[in-house]
Amino acid sequence: MTIRHSLLALLADQPAHGYGLKSSFERTTAGTWPLNVGQVYTTLGRLERDGLVSSEGDEHTQRQTWRLTEAGRAALHVWYDSPVEEEPPSRNELALKVLLAVAADSVDVSAILRSQRMATMDRLQRYTREKMGADPDRDLTWLLLLDSLILRAEAEIRWIDLCEERLRARGSR
Amino acid sequence: MNFQAVLELESVIKVHGSGPTAVHALGPIDLRIPAGEFVAIMGPSGSGKSTLLSLAGALDSPSGGVVRVQGTDLAVLSSRALAELRRRTIGYVFQELNLLPGLTALENIALPLELDGVPLGRAREAALASLREIALEALSDRFPDDLSGGEQQRVAIARAFVGPRSLLLADEPTGALDSVTGEHVMRLLRKQCDGGRTVVLVTHNSAHAAWADRVLFLKDGLVVGASGGEQGPSGFERSGIGRMGERGRE
Repeated sequence: MTIRHSLLALLADQPAHGYGLKSSFERTTAGTWPLNVGQVYTTLGRLERDGLVSSEGDEHTQRQTWRLTEAGRAALHVWYDSPVEEEPPSRNELALKVLLAVAADSVDVSAILRSQRMATMDRLQRYTREKMGADPDRDLTWLLLLDSLILRAEAEIRWIDLCEERLRARGSR
Repeated sequence: MNFQAVLELESVIKVHGSGPTAVHALGPIDLRIPAGEFVAIMGPSGSGKSTLLSLAGALDSPSGGVVRVQGTDLAVLSSRALAELRRRTIGYVFQELNLLPGLTALENIALPLELDGVPLGRAREAALASLREIALEALSDRFPDDLSGGEQQRVAIARAFVGPRSLLLADEPTGALDSVTGEHVMRLLRKQCDGGRTVVLVTHNSAHAAWADRVLFLKDGLVVGASGGEQGPSGFERSGIGRMGERGRE
């Protein structure tokens, strides 16, 4: 997740205060990625250093208002126009665990797959319960996020099924 | 015996054939499903999912053990009483829709009631109520061929639930449907359970199984795992999902 581009995106339509940016970030992403206000100010400072945002202070309120510069708007467009790169496969702990278990002689791979399937199914059920209660009109961003999490969990279960089939085929040869 | 269980399987076994060529299809299985529960059954091909559903729906009889529907042991029922149970208590939805092409949506839904001797007017009234429940009353005069796949499947579910039936058995009801339409069907099944009916769904789709209260995993005829049975309605707060912030980077 990139906080830099998220802040540029939130500033695209109107200038904002640092705390307001934190709130609108959390509102837009349905509170899934908690952001501390210190992170927001550190990032804004770096964006200003790089010429992507500018700030002006209010003498009375002592608060700074941040706005996007032309260079910031261009950087934001580049971000929106570029496909997201895949996370490095090494981050997939489950795949790593299964590969190591298959390579080891003394580990019961089927037991690992069974317990993971149930844990992932539990997670899928929790996401789905959230979805049942969501309003398709008012909670669109929340629903889109849940769909993304649900599809990822579903893919994990399908991968587990496939692992079992391949192991079974190998075992029966 | 606890009469709250709509469906109960006790040490149920199913063997196809006999002698050296006998195939052990299912069991022993113990399962108890109370009124209002939505249970999904998953497992690879040949794991016994559909066999379990056939036994639960009185479409087949077990080689051993007891199947009870609303407290009644199916083995003690005469074939006439079994047919009556299948008509009045149990609804079935299959991947093949089995709607009769020559009848309208309304007539298709009213048909099982009419076959059961309910006067035409009352059967149609009940069918209309059933269509209203799934927000398809505007399509009551359409023939199956004039309905989309999702609408047809919803009509099939309305038919399965028409009248006083309390147990719905669904075998891959979303097989041919796209994701959004499949989700409509799941929402509809969920709503039926929340209204007190009981649903048993066989599916290979984990995202659809996740609409259930409990998901059972079958393998080689046995239940090898279950998830969700002990949980409350939600279990976590919106802001708690995943804790992805910990992985955030600037």
